[in-house]
Amino acid sequence: MNIGAVTLPSICSHTSHCAFPVRATASNGVTSPPNLAIEGKNLSYAITARNGKLVPILNDCSLCIPSGQLWMLLGPNGCGKSTLLKILAGLLNPTHGAVYVKRPRSFVFQNPDHQVVMPTVEGDVAFGLGKFNLTQNEVRSRVAKALHAVGMSDYLQRPVQTLSGGQKQRVAIAGALAESCKVLLLDELTTFLDESDQIGVIKAVKNSLDGSEEVTALWVTHRLEELEYADGAIYMENGKVVMHGTPSNIMGFLKERISSYTNRINS
Amino acid sequence: MNSTGVRALPTLFFSAPSPNPSHSIRKTLAPLKLRPPNLPQLNRKSSLSLTSESLKIARERGFGIRCSSGDGGSKWARWVPKGMVAERVLRLISGATSSPICQYVSSPTTFLHSVDPRIKLVWLLALVVLPARSHIVMRFGLVIYLALLSIWVLPKQLWMDQLGRVGLLSGILFVMLGLGSDVAPSLVQLRTPPPAMINLPSLPSSLSGYSYLVMKLGPLQLTRKGLSVASTSACLTFTIFLSASLCLATTTPEKLASALRWFMLPLTAVGVPVAEIILTLLLSLRFINLVFDEVRNAALGIVARRINWQQLTIMETFDIFVTYVRRIFKNIFSHAEQISQAMIVRGFRGDSRNHKIYFLSDSSLGIADIIASLCLVGLISAAILSEVILV
Repeated sequence: MNIGAVTLPSICSHTSHCAFPVRATASNGVTSPPNLAIEGKNLSYAITARNGKLVPILNDCSLCIPSGQLWMLLGPNGCGKSTLLKILAGLLNPTHGAVYVKRPRSFVFQNPDHQVVMPTVEGDVAFGLGKFNLTQNEVRSRVAKALHAVGMSDYLQRPVQTLSGGQKQRVAIAGALAESCKVLLLDELTTFLDESDQIGVIKAVKNSLDGSEEVTALWVTHRLEELEYADGAIYMENGKVVMHGTPSNIMGFLKERISSYTNRINS
Repeated sequence: MNSTGVRALPTLFFSAPSPNPSHSIRKTLAPLKLRPPNLPQLNRKSSLSLTSESLKIARERGFGIRCSSGDGGSKWARWVPKGMVAERVLRLISGATSSPICQYVSSPTTFLHSVDPRIKLVWLLALVVLPARSHIVMRFGLVIYLALLSIWVLPKQLWMDQLGRVGLLSGILFVMLGLGSDVAPSLVQLRTPPPAMINLPSLPSSLSGYSYLVMKLGPLQLTRKGLSVASTSACLTFTIFLSASLCLATTTPEKLASALRWFMLPLTAVGVPVAEIILTLLLSLRFINLVFDEVRNAALGIVARRINWQQLTIMETFDIFVTYVRRIFKNIFSHAEQISQAMIVRGFRGDSRNHKIYFLSDSSLGIADIIASLCLVGLISAAILSEVILV
């Protein structure tokens, strides 16, 4: 499995579909577009079914997300949100199109049991740091900061299996935060959380973004109320990006859809 | 076998869900008896004609046909878990695996929590070797010591559960080996003929009251050899299980792995992949709990369906258990795949030497470690002395 963004074709120019206010940030270099943390152009992805036919999952999806912002990816079940996110994380290679994602990047799975790989909380948060050459004190400090950000400072030595779903989700997020990544790809983090945990996790992500202008997050969600925390949003349907813009535009678009659907079934 | 009481009659079941929403899932599988209410006992011929008729109906209406015979020729069938037994088995599984098995207990923090994991590993080794090599008094002393330590260190619910299970297992072993290891006739055991057959005088009885036979219970007898085998096996089982459990309950997996790495580090010079072994150990310790969760959740899933086990045939019950096992394996493999993906995303590239595992706990020796080390030396000395003094 090829997960290096370096080997993927990079896009160096802004595309016409990026109609949003971009916060001014420093340029990332020659090969990467300025101010953009994530960019995907005409991305398509298909799988081969047992009968040999190609089943399209994503169809000509284009998106661009500026640095330092929290964006949300919305859409009905099975529309290809998680697949798109896995392509951005480098877990899947697109069958067509090009993608650029700033590095280092981090991906948090929907199910925390798939993300948490070590038996205790501190061990798991420190696992992602294994690729860096850090001192014990640096690791300890990063782990403590990340756990503090998600409100899990008191659970350092707790076995992971004794945690609730929400707590495991927080540990998974802390693992991503500890790596100090420039891009956070978050797949339906709040699925297992109650309302207060949900807000807590969003605020934790938002705080990490506020702490550095270089950190960008793409958050997959079904919950429209989370849109108020976003700087921008993308709406997908049937494997296509239907809309790409500010949260208020997306919200207006969705409300219009709901009202037209309600009118249709009432008529 | 079908318990409907209709002998040699075919039964029909719908393969499609019932259109009636009030029907439970099981009702769609319930046999549809074709026997009219006032029909007398049918002979073989009539039953065959009914079978072909029912086949025709089934073909037309898309039913599945299941033949059931009430006379049930197979005796083995009654031993297959069926009906409420099957449900009880599943309920037992879903309940049993929900209790913590040898997992780290972070609070209350005890004396054992502060002992260095390297000393704990040496203790573990000593507790495995000593019962096999020391006097019977020493063996039972170790058992009592470990039982008291468990009661002191572990929460009440945990030590009661663990002591109960391990005690039961060791007790069964003790009784079976004690009474069973020396009951075979001496002719089977000895190749040399007894002294009476070769005109030698019998051995004189011991003046000091020594007797090879300790106890006799009808055909069963407890001899000195039996006692020795039984006490060694039972004590070894007890000490291994309980000491490992105590160690795991008071040490985080990372600390244990770190201690093991410390001991194994010199082996890297001879090419032993220590980093790989340690990572595998840590992943296994995490994965064990996922497996338990899967086993429990799959069993709960079946119990929650409220299957009417009484109406299932043996093959259907068996099929459910096969599906259960298949589901467990499928979920476990899916978990393993997802975890490997997560490891890749988190920077692991398949080479353990290039991905550092940080062990964040301090390993400085304290007063608890000195006491534990002295106790270990005392225990080993006592074991050696017991061999010399208590012959």
